Amino acid sequence: MSVSFSSEANIMEKETVARVAKVARLRLTEAELDKYGKDLQDILDSFAVLDSAPSSENFDFNPVPVQDVLREDEPAIDIDPYELTKHMDSYDGYIRGPKLS
Amino acid sequence: MIARFDLDWLKRQNERHRAFCEMLEIQPEGESKFTFSAKDNLCTKDFQTRAGSRILEGYRPPFDAEPVKRLRHAGGLLLGKTNMDEFGFGTFSTNSAFGVPLNPFDRERACGGSSGGAAVAAALIAGHAALGVSTGGSISCPASFCGVVGITPTYGRVSRYGLIDYGNSLDKVGLLSRNVSLIEKLLPVISGPDPRDPTSCCQTQLDMSKDRSGPIAVPKECLEGVEPKVLDAFNAAVQRVSAEMGREIVSVDMPSLKFAMPAYYVLATTEASTNLARYAGMRYGVMGNEYHQHFNDYFSGVRTECFGEEAKRRILLGTFCRMVGFRDKYYLKALSVRNTIIQEYASIFKEYAAVASPTMPMVAPRFDDIKNMRPVDIYLTDFLTLPPNLTGLPHISVPCGYVGKMPVGMQLVTPHWEEGALVKFAKRWEQGFEYHIPEVGA
Amino acid sequence: MKIGLEIHLQLPTKSKLFCSCPTTADQPNSSVCPTCLGFPGSRPSLNRKALEYGLMVARFLDCHMNQKIWFSRKTYFYPDLPKHFQITQYESPLGVDGHYDLNGKRIGIWRVHIEEDPGRIRRVGRSGEEVSLIDYNRSGIPLVEIVTAPDMSSPAEAREFINQLTTELRYLVGISVQDEQSIRVDCNISVGEERVEVKNVSGLRNMEKALSYEATRQAKMLEAGKKIVRETRRYDEERKVTLPAREKEFEEDYGYIGEPDLGEYEIGAMAAAIKLPETPFMRAERLAKQCSIPEATAKQLVLTSMNLADLFEETCSKVPPEKAVQWLLGPINSNWSKFEPILGEKKGEIIDVIKADSDGRINDNEAKMRLLAMVGMAEVSTSDEGGRDIEVLVNQFLDKHPEVVKDYRTNPKAANSVIGHLMKETKGRHSSKEIVECVNREIEKRV
Repeated sequence: MSVSFSSEANIMEKETVARVAKVARLRLTEAELDKYGKDLQDILDSFAVLDSAPSSENFDFNPVPVQDVLREDEPAIDIDPYELTKHMDSYDGYIRGPKLS
Repeated sequence: MIARFDLDWLKRQNERHRAFCEMLEIQPEGESKFTFSAKDNLCTKDFQTRAGSRILEGYRPPFDAEPVKRLRHAGGLLLGKTNMDEFGFGTFSTNSAFGVPLNPFDRERACGGSSGGAAVAAALIAGHAALGVSTGGSISCPASFCGVVGITPTYGRVSRYGLIDYGNSLDKVGLLSRNVSLIEKLLPVISGPDPRDPTSCCQTQLDMSKDRSGPIAVPKECLEGVEPKVLDAFNAAVQRVSAEMGREIVSVDMPSLKFAMPAYYVLATTEASTNLARYAGMRYGVMGNEYHQHFNDYFSGVRTECFGEEAKRRILLGTFCRMVGFRDKYYLKALSVRNTIIQEYASIFKEYAAVASPTMPMVAPRFDDIKNMRPVDIYLTDFLTLPPNLTGLPHISVPCGYVGKMPVGMQLVTPHWEEGALVKFAKRWEQGFEYHIPEVGA
Repeated sequence: MKIGLEIHLQLPTKSKLFCSCPTTADQPNSSVCPTCLGFPGSRPSLNRKALEYGLMVARFLDCHMNQKIWFSRKTYFYPDLPKHFQITQYESPLGVDGHYDLNGKRIGIWRVHIEEDPGRIRRVGRSGEEVSLIDYNRSGIPLVEIVTAPDMSSPAEAREFINQLTTELRYLVGISVQDEQSIRVDCNISVGEERVEVKNVSGLRNMEKALSYEATRQAKMLEAGKKIVRETRRYDEERKVTLPAREKEFEEDYGYIGEPDLGEYEIGAMAAAIKLPETPFMRAERLAKQCSIPEATAKQLVLTSMNLADLFEETCSKVPPEKAVQWLLGPINSNWSKFEPILGEKKGEIIDVIKADSDGRINDNEAKMRLLAMVGMAEVSTSDEGGRDIEVLVNQFLDKHPEVVKDYRTNPKAANSVIGHLMKETKGRHSSKEIVECVNREIEKRV
């Protein structure tokens, strides 16, 4: 399924919002699709100024340099795993989850 | 510094202003060196940690966030968890699932966000340090609206271990307090590398004695769109800085600042949309139990039911901005624009000691007016706090004037790792300017 | 037929990729922490050893190494993935454009990167109604992913490739593949124009079966004049067929973004500093050339154990390679599990026996007995130490029969009576050559 976004129409197409919601695992009603579509369109319109920003190939993922931070391969357990899993729904030591298919 | 406080008094105050969403229930015995609070997105063993979201209802972390741990070690008493916009998503703290905190100067008005409860606690409680968190201005904004001092350190200065993520390349833990003296004492306590947060491990050492000399720059771009009365208060403050503190004030152009708003919202929401993927009704927080459902339905069901409106909006926006076909246009572009803005700041800092502006373009708005704002209008009100936040630059907001009884904030930005100069500036400012304390009941 | 593989192997670190949890555990969910359970507020921190192992693999496969790397978040929802994003490498793998020579054929390597493993899911319940039970001990175990070009031309070749590769990597970084199922492979196979992906196949046997099934299926379709559609399929281990992956509601969009919690890594210097040891197949190639032995023989040596290859090289410094092969790929190889543990202590002795045999001082039978005796599989009388016991027997005989020495002066054939006696006494434990030499030597001393 292809996603389209048309700036001419100036409306974030409903099916685009629906697809984004699906990818994000959110269920939206028809009314919500309209409302969020309009909100997102307003927001994206205000982002248009980005197009005029100078483009550069270089980018970093942090605003200050974060480089070569490594941990030695030494096993350790700080918190008792039971303390972490005791509130989870479990069966026979395994954590329960929903159906896979 | 010995802090005495009356828990019953605090409870009464909290009923009026809803600063805390969780607090001590029994008056603790003995005295502590100071009291502090933690924004509800900082993990604490002894209080629920919900980050303002219903989806984390009942979540009690098995560990303390590093800044909380360090303040406890320094002799602080944790009073409770302060209310906030869900996951930090907001400018007015109106997006909390656990009530809306009210401005200490006027209960009809917002206290700002997203560290709204933290600013209210700082304003109400003498000798109190409130741990706040800023992603795009969430310390400066409520500090400004509530008339307190708020410092946002350099990105990576304070460990984020135990901070519930909004945008990992933007989140910064800082402090709010009635004045800068406690901040001066406690910033060194919470700062420093922590092996459990790699981004804190490349910092240069905090030097509180290091000052910056030279003129202060005021970007023209930061005065456009500011409410006239707020602008008047800021201009008056700037004159005092010039006349009483002997600092030259120079108007400058910083054309790249206009890109900060979109770049920030793209990066913050893309990161947020991945951070919030984990909340899906398994393992912690709200648990689904409909195991007969297909996992997609199960996850969607819990998420749809428990995320608030703004959280959903930002998840949608962030997911969209990193999807195939839009990723280059938004996500990658925003990353490169961030570098552009960092470079522009760097060239300004070659000539100027700091960059100053009003903190917010308005005083704390009335709740009635907020209702009429579109989401994009709210995003745009952050245009003054977004640039230093996007670029990870340290900044401080100090009260600098009043419009009626409502406080106006002034924001000062310095280069990475130069928090010392911010604190020194605030100390000198406080010598010549008296902050108003909100009237609090008995 | 073209086959390309995406191979996932666990790296043998002691702790996980992004947290300190031990990589071994006996109970489900007993080696977990906030980070590998994706608790809010937890953060990753990169294991140096895992990065080094990954770099070794990439270097070994002769990849072009990246100077700077970072990690990315691959976002998708599945119950075994605690954060609902996997920290992997997207734009900046450790290395690209490498190759591996499989029995003289070059297999292209497109990329090598490291990433975290999700948890392990147990499916419980009726087929189609399965509920998931999850063990997060596996969550965060470091994986190396190796993506090949579609350069293999049969399922058997694909299997041979992974077989050799894992042998090499076992030696290189200590990858353990005792659990055959722990090798997970995504296979791309095309008989005609269009390729089909068979995703997430566990184990080599399953992979070969899945590929064979798929090859036949595609060939039959082409014969029948049908078109092969580009699709993702899965392998049903029980029915031994590939099936279209259950048509997903929609195509997942991973929406990759950089992982801001880890920063960047300048790996150029680190990668360059890595010294690659000689791996089994590299060694086999060298031994075959150096010692003029058949390649298959050399492979047999290194595949049994690199320790056997060590022993071979040492033995070859004393005896001709054929002799070394005769013993090392004979009784020693057949009883390798018994010989390997005693190498430290008895290596010299083993080589001495082979040398003695090679020199003709003892016969094959005697050599075999002595070797097996070292691992307790044969008995050798204790008096039979080296050649000295013959000396003793010869001298005892000569003491009793001094006339032999006297006769010998005029007729050397007199020695035959001694020789005959010794042959009888030693019951063939010594070669006749050895006995003759010894007798002559001892008589000469008395003459």
